[in-house]
Amino acid sequence: MRKQNAYSLTVFSPSGKLVQIEHALAAVAGGTTSLGIKASNGIVIAAEKKTSSILIDDSVIDRVAVICPNIGIVYSGMGPDFRVLVTKARKSAQAYWKIYGTYPPTRVLTQEIATVMQQATQSGGVRPYGVSLLVAGWDSHRGPTLYQVDPSGSFWAWKASAIGKNMVNAKTFLEKRYNDDISLEDAIHTALLTLKEGFEGQMTEKTIEIGVITVPTPEELEAESPDGITGRVKPTFRKLTEEEVRDYLSL
Amino acid sequence: MSKSSVYSSPGFDFSNIVRNNFLHEKGLPLPKATSTGTTIVGCLFKDGIVLGADTRATEGPIVADKNCEKIHYITESIRCCGAGTAADTEFTTALISSNMELHALQSGRKPRVVTAMTMLKQMLFRYQGHVGAALVLGGVDSTGPHLFTIHPHGSTDKLPYVTMGSGSLAAMAVFESGWQPNMEREQALNLVKAAIAAGIFNDLGSGSNVDACIITANSTEMLRNVEMPNVRVQKERDYKFRRGTTAWKKEEIRSLVVEETVTPIGRGDEMDTS
Repeated sequence: MRKQNAYSLTVFSPSGKLVQIEHALAAVAGGTTSLGIKASNGIVIAAEKKTSSILIDDSVIDRVAVICPNIGIVYSGMGPDFRVLVTKARKSAQAYWKIYGTYPPTRVLTQEIATVMQQATQSGGVRPYGVSLLVAGWDSHRGPTLYQVDPSGSFWAWKASAIGKNMVNAKTFLEKRYNDDISLEDAIHTALLTLKEGFEGQMTEKTIEIGVITVPTPEELEAESPDGITGRVKPTFRKLTEEEVRDYLSL
Repeated sequence: MSKSSVYSSPGFDFSNIVRNNFLHEKGLPLPKATSTGTTIVGCLFKDGIVLGADTRATEGPIVADKNCEKIHYITESIRCCGAGTAADTEFTTALISSNMELHALQSGRKPRVVTAMTMLKQMLFRYQGHVGAALVLGGVDSTGPHLFTIHPHGSTDKLPYVTMGSGSLAAMAVFESGWQPNMEREQALNLVKAAIAAGIFNDLGSGSNVDACIITANSTEMLRNVEMPNVRVQKERDYKFRRGTTAWKKEEIRSLVVEETVTPIGRGDEMDTS
């Protein structure tokens, strides 16, 4: 009787590369661009909402996803793989909450997602996830942090990064325009300019999605002291509405 | 693929029953579960729901907590009062609260009260009454305000005014004579306060303070200790004993810390979180 799923499909090549992961990265590089910029008082993540046909109802597409009140993710690559990872990330955040009573710090959640992605490169019968993720979150220990996770499962923290089709140009653009004390408003503006660089077609509030992390003020932190299990933290991550995106675009 | 280890195996663990029964027969008193005794109420008014609860937690005849919180968070616009075994109500509401948040994220919709009710009743029925949680669930969602009671075995009722707990009869008496449809906010809050007060004063299992929570379509207001009818009186005298009240024969003072210098090595006590 043949043992099911016994052998990994991702194996080393003689040159020491995991070719499947290289191919996964190629899938990511073919996906629509997304980027993230860390500001002094927040983070902005944004993505193009490019559809293959004008007949597609793009109001249903979700490039930027909320994981828990303090963490949001954007991706480039295969949409269905992203969907699966978002579900796992949400469950992981709730599991953490059930044990510790607070939402996971960004790094902890990023590590959990990265572990899931790595397991797909070393398990029998599965393929790597064809997405790269940009995880933006706020926690009281490190403040706002932006991480990129690749199909291999490796992750790094970035001040600003872009992934997907136009990432090379976008990163060069960001390198020129980024400085350590950029404000959130400037960061949103820069993000829009960067997206515009490689945008094919009209950039409107319907063809881009923006998510924003705002750092809570000291008063807000005081107000939500752990006085009990009643009430949860005020969300620090939210997706901008179409009206808000339109306002930023018109600037 | 390895399973996530954050989930512990589900269900009750009955493996200690034989041992516990043996010990009990030998004379060991079984530990009593902390019961909230309790008076909890909910009532519908013009703009939404008012929930109310007392704040006494009992362990048999002893008051375990004089100011516990019995109105639990389910979602921003949905709250749940819990009577019965304190641990059961705490954990059940926390579990359903977590699952509601997951459900809201996945569906992209604001959570509904009936969803929480269904999750709670299905869980309680599964445990056949062993989870001793009697709940008053109320909230406002996109379909309007809703108020439910959920019993430990899993049955539910949908009503405009409800009471649960050992003080429920006292509280219901107040509701039956005072409740009207379409009350104003102040009227409803006063009615709830009166109902809880009836439980506090007439039931031994309930006591201390009144908590209330007002939920409307636009806001949820948590009124912790909105009424405190049982504040302890200030003691009339000072009961400090002056030094010398107790005579002593010998006195020896030793200083254990002669000299101390702290030299941090590397990053000292700081954790390495790099």
